[in-house]
Amino acid sequence: MKANLFGKKIAFYVLIIIVWQGIDSAEIWPDNIFPSPIEVGEDLLYGVSDGSLFYGIATSMWRLVIGLSIAIGGGMLLGIFMARVETVNQTIGSLVLGLQSIPSVAWVPLAILWFGLSDSGIIFVTAIGAIFAVTINTYTGVKNIDPSFIEAARNMGAKGGQLVTTILIPAAFPYMISGFKQGWAFAWRGVIGAELLFSFLGLGFLLNVGRQLNDVSQVIAMMLVIMGIGILIDGFVFKKLEDKVMTKWGLR
Amino acid sequence: MGKIEAKNIIKYFQHDGKPLKAIGGVNLTVDDGEFVCIVGPSGCGKSTFLRILAGLEKPDDGEVLLDGKKLVNTGPDRIMVFQEGALFPWLTVEDNVEYGLKVAGIPENERHDISKRYLDMMQLSQFANSYTYQLSTGMKQRVAIARALVMDPDVLLMDEPFAALDSQTRDLLLVEMQMIWQKTKKTIIFVTHNVPEAAVLGSRVAVFSHRPSVVKKSLNIDYKRPRVAEDENLGKFEKEILAALRHQGPK
Repeated sequence: MKANLFGKKIAFYVLIIIVWQGIDSAEIWPDNIFPSPIEVGEDLLYGVSDGSLFYGIATSMWRLVIGLSIAIGGGMLLGIFMARVETVNQTIGSLVLGLQSIPSVAWVPLAILWFGLSDSGIIFVTAIGAIFAVTINTYTGVKNIDPSFIEAARNMGAKGGQLVTTILIPAAFPYMISGFKQGWAFAWRGVIGAELLFSFLGLGFLLNVGRQLNDVSQVIAMMLVIMGIGILIDGFVFKKLEDKVMTKWGLR
Repeated sequence: MGKIEAKNIIKYFQHDGKPLKAIGGVNLTVDDGEFVCIVGPSGCGKSTFLRILAGLEKPDDGEVLLDGKKLVNTGPDRIMVFQEGALFPWLTVEDNVEYGLKVAGIPENERHDISKRYLDMMQLSQFANSYTYQLSTGMKQRVAIARALVMDPDVLLMDEPFAALDSQTRDLLLVEMQMIWQKTKKTIIFVTHNVPEAAVLGSRVAVFSHRPSVVKKSLNIDYKRPRVAEDENLGKFEKEILAALRHQGPK
């Protein structure tokens, strides 16, 4: 069953490459507009051999990890406060909903003015693009905790910070995971978008260099890398984490 | 010690935006080591009364004293066993049982010793490392009881803990509960809507009236233990409880 599914996927991607190559061989568009899969592959290999691709990936990932960590930490804190203190929810809560509707790249001009063309600026865009998704999911998670969990814990003597770390966070964790997953998706878009506009190293920068050099195969190669990393992190980090938590919490 | 006194407890509910008097002045004194069952018609506020004893809800009037001291907040001197157990799904059985000890800052090896004793007592040792979703409803309630007992509370408050169990499991736990009581000599207040259950467990049964509820009748059950639900000699006690429940006036 699993092997069958894997086979299907492989066959699908092979088919795409064949069709792609077929269109290229038909020579409808010139090569500088529509490259062949082989040209894109060569570009990737070139990036691997001179190390620029790994350097780009490492730079983007590093920014992602820092930005996302800030978003997760801050978002959890804010979400818990919103869920537990009604005044915070009534005031900051409405602002959070508004801020979440701002696309991360729309923060770039402000980030450039505040931080200059620096890593901090890109990390700011990444964090702010992800934080509200984490906040809202944490809020929902804490709000949905079975009240008897909190009562039982208080009855057994838990208070304040203890209640937060031993009950609120673990009890809301299945929701928080969804927040982390959404947050990561926003953060990844944020990193690449910011790197495009900041033009300061990373995969987004390499993508933009491709455009500046009129090198379509580099543009497509970088897009494939960005997508590939997305699939890997979604499937291996978040899917695994989610499965583990859902099983342990008895939700599946 | 664990003598708990409720003095003139009054509690209003909000019903369609209007206050509705649910508990209309309950006076109940439970002596140290007594096993008191509270029965009453549904909606009479017996669970709310138990929550007030636990300190999880505040009465609109009246006070609760534990060994003569007025209680304001909830705390581990009165441990509540919830209807659905309220076990934490992210912890193993053992960690659930040790939760309150951990909160109290008791060192790990000491915690293990205590939890092991109660896990053995509740026949849960082989499930120590299981998660709660792997347990049956009856097992979950055993864990909830073990989690309450490790705290060594003065009073054990039980809110219809066997309501969701099948009858065989319930019968088994009814016998075990009596043995736990005899072994630990805890003060137990046990809320139920099941009259035979009250007759089996209680050394005394307090019958609540329809709301606004008061203690309508207090009936001592002087009968040998361990009692079983099928025992016909309990029938006369059950009849007395039922009669008190019935003379409620219109609903």
